[in-house]
Amino acid sequence: MHTEPGRTGPSVTGDPVAHLWRGTVALRIVTFLFALGNAAVHHSTYERPWLAWTVIGVMAAWTVFTSVAYSRENGRRPWVVSADLGLACALMSLSPLIMTDFQFLSNVPLITTIWASGPPVAAGALGGSVAGALSGLVVGLFTYLSRGVLSVDLVRDVVLLSGAGLVVGMASTTARKSAVRLEQALRTEAATAERERLARSIHDGVLQVLARVRKRGLELGGEAAELAELAGEQEIALRSLVAAAPTESTVDGDADLRPGLQLLATPRVQVSTPATQVMLPASTVAELTAVVREALSNVDKHAPGAKAWVLLEDLGAEVVLSVRDDGPGIPEGRLASAEAEGRMGVAKSIRGRVEALRGTLELQTGPGEGTEWEVRVYR
Amino acid sequence: MVVDDHPIWRDGVARDLAERGFDVVATAGDAASAVRIARAVRPDVVLMDLNLGESTGVEATTMITGSLTGTRVLVLSASGEHDDVLEAVKAGASGYLVKSASAEELVEAVNRTAAGDAVFTAGLAGLVLGEYRRMAATPDEDKPQLTDRETEVLRLVAKGLTARQIANRLVISHRTVENHVQSTLRKLQLHNRVELARYAIEHGLDVEPEGT
Repeated sequence: MHTEPGRTGPSVTGDPVAHLWRGTVALRIVTFLFALGNAAVHHSTYERPWLAWTVIGVMAAWTVFTSVAYSRENGRRPWVVSADLGLACALMSLSPLIMTDFQFLSNVPLITTIWASGPPVAAGALGGSVAGALSGLVVGLFTYLSRGVLSVDLVRDVVLLSGAGLVVGMASTTARKSAVRLEQALRTEAATAERERLARSIHDGVLQVLARVRKRGLELGGEAAELAELAGEQEIALRSLVAAAPTESTVDGDADLRPGLQLLATPRVQVSTPATQVMLPASTVAELTAVVREALSNVDKHAPGAKAWVLLEDLGAEVVLSVRDDGPGIPEGRLASAEAEGRMGVAKSIRGRVEALRGTLELQTGPGEGTEWEVRVYR
Repeated sequence: MVVDDHPIWRDGVARDLAERGFDVVATAGDAASAVRIARAVRPDVVLMDLNLGESTGVEATTMITGSLTGTRVLVLSASGEHDDVLEAVKAGASGYLVKSASAEELVEAVNRTAAGDAVFTAGLAGLVLGEYRRMAATPDEDKPQLTDRETEVLRLVAKGLTARQIANRLVISHRTVENHVQSTLRKLQLHNRVELARYAIEHGLDVEPEGT
């Protein structure tokens, strides 16, 4: 019955950029047909037609090989793409032996023609925008070396080649990133489901027994009461733990404020929240949780044994957090004097955090009235 | 009557209550038999656990409060089950107590439930406040709303003040505080019934008339 968390849900399988590779293969085949047509048109005037057809033959074989390799996940490897780039450049460099000077002057395409655009696109799909753009520059450099002259046409080709590599590279990086996010989301979902399953079974067994031990022990008194108290603490800790959903944030960096607060519940601290999520930026969630923790530790310090209540309210445009205790309250002027003496303490730390969130802080206290902090932050 | 799927807990609570002079007329371990037995013995108060294995205490609560006018349901459940507690209260439960409450608190809660009062913990007040605010954010026109006073009272309950402390602070009577709390629940339950009926009509379901 046990399933590992993260393996329960559906998972994303396969290369997230498979569609880019299919495009690369299609481009390969189309550009090869173009090169074939080009050679057919010009072969009668080539200086060495046999070499032209040999090169076309090699291109045909290589087109078949890369089409097969790029169609498989284990064929999309750096060495295949590097070899692709090397071979395209090498075949292109044979152009001066194949073509006549006149053909060069009248701008007849090199023997590889646009077939040489394949490697930059493949490099982009494999390695991202930098690899794509660099491969485009390498092909451009070999085009220049083969032609031997710098012309507007040549510069245009270089720009187009590295541009193509760059764009495909960016698309590939984006696709990979969103695949990672999707995977993460599915994992979170699976983990949540698993946690709920665990929570149910813990609730059904362990918690019931702990609760019973605590109850009965308290009634029996003496040493049993001590054990009961321990059981009670563990019961509440375990309850908060199984109740709290994983605090993983959403894609846009928002997180639910409730789980962190619920973990602060103890036998003397009651935490009340809405039944629905209270989403805030993850950093705000961390700060607010810290504020509450601070206020509660302050209760422990100044009013040991007092009970405390934490209330979280979501008003839409603002979120209100109240922490109240039924301790003796802070005597008037003591907060101010502590602040004046430069002691860190509650005042500075809590006030500082709330101010950093551009929220407001209200403190209601007086001898015998307990202390109540109310923090408001705006969305 | 005590409903809980865990025998150790169920029998323990039943014994606690019997020792303190309550008449425990029945116990049940699952939702279906809880409804059947409750209809037969018509108890004053049903102590309902929400986690009943396969079936839920929420459904049992709906059926019991829907068909038995003299029976009140007090939810006695774990503190983590926010959604279920809210649903049970909307379905007609008149209060909620966590299982970590002391025997004295339990006795007092059962007494108050039998007397027809709502039993609110701070946690439940927070849930109910949240529910009203969630509804306030929806475009639905005939949703229930809290008056300013009711909101004020609920917030104080959620901050752990007792009814007496709230009465002192707001300079109103103890009874008025109880009435405010009661009214927040009633509106929520009424709305829930209207919603269920509307849903049934819209989806062409025949609602079986239940003896209220």
